[in-house]
Amino acid sequence: MQVMVDASDGDVARAVAARAPGVAEAAESELYRRFAPRVRLYGLRHLGDEEEARDLSQQVMLLAIEKLRAGAIRDADQIASFVLGVSRTMTKDLKRLDWRREKLRETFLRAPMVEAPAEDATLDLDHLEACLARLADRERMVVLLTFYAEKTGSEVGKELRLTEGNVRVIRHRAIERLRTCMTSREGSR
Amino acid sequence: MLACQAPIPDAILLDYWTRDLPDGDEMNRVEEHLFACGDCSARLDQMAALGAGLTTLVRQGRVSGIVSRAVLNRLQRDGARVRMYWLAPGETVPCAVYPGDDVIVTALRADFSGVDAVTLSVTGPDDSPFGRCDDVPVSGLRGEVLWANPAALLRQMPSMRLELTLNSTGAAPTELGRYVLEHSAHQRLLS
Repeated sequence: MQVMVDASDGDVARAVAARAPGVAEAAESELYRRFAPRVRLYGLRHLGDEEEARDLSQQVMLLAIEKLRAGAIRDADQIASFVLGVSRTMTKDLKRLDWRREKLRETFLRAPMVEAPAEDATLDLDHLEACLARLADRERMVVLLTFYAEKTGSEVGKELRLTEGNVRVIRHRAIERLRTCMTSREGSR
Repeated sequence: MLACQAPIPDAILLDYWTRDLPDGDEMNRVEEHLFACGDCSARLDQMAALGAGLTTLVRQGRVSGIVSRAVLNRLQRDGARVRMYWLAPGETVPCAVYPGDDVIVTALRADFSGVDAVTLSVTGPDDSPFGRCDDVPVSGLRGEVLWANPAALLRQMPSMRLELTLNSTGAAPTELGRYVLEHSAHQRLLS
């Protein structure tokens, strides 16, 4: 297994394709371990939904492993490009499906549907709350508009009557401060 | 796996994640790099987790300070129970936190013409400092400043009088308004 962890992406893909007994299974696990989180992030960025992003990740990885097993990927060193390409195609399909679902929802469901707040399992939220409170007021406003209200830099600029460039500088600085605070115990209560 | 030889700068990762990187060659380059590079995708994952954590905090009503109208609208759309109090300059308004409230928002009205940013100072009994927000951009053109506090925090407060002062910031700060909140402790309201 350690051999797989240290191997290049191409070598891992080749090991999956070779289907050698005792090696292929470890190689498939390693391929999944490396690429599934990247596909999930891509899905989150483009679909904006954790559940859909996880589904995308499962589907893309299943297809990638099947294609490798079937010898359908000629250049194993291009496995990252292949996984990205499949992610893009599947995301486009999911977006089309979402658009249809949204149309149906608008037609048949008048009342807004409210999602239950998702618990974030990986972060210490008490610590994050303390770190957020330590930001300058305008940094906090920009960060909340960006991440919570999902506004682009230009939209935040319009909302706060700031230039887009200024918003990006404030946002970058705020994220740096949050990250530093989260990795130290400084922000903890 | 080799360590990344050409890491994507944090600012670009942030632009990518917040949809500020336009579709096109640069976005393609970033995505190709992210799929081939464990280090950079792990950094993006941290950034995304931070964003998700912030969203969870706000949805739970754990937000303090001045917020913009877009954040307030989103909170209400997400189903948070927001209680609002509106105050014009010179006004005194009784307020309380009720069962089920998630966030209390005080909307301060004033004439914001020509004002880009404001400072809000809040004092409690005997002029004791209660809160302060410095150099906050005035949100939109609605003529209001929205001061948010978690209901869970305010529920613990005894009855008290809070004085709020809003000043413009800049070379010659001017007072835009003074407001008073007469806070009743929730327990007293129920008795």
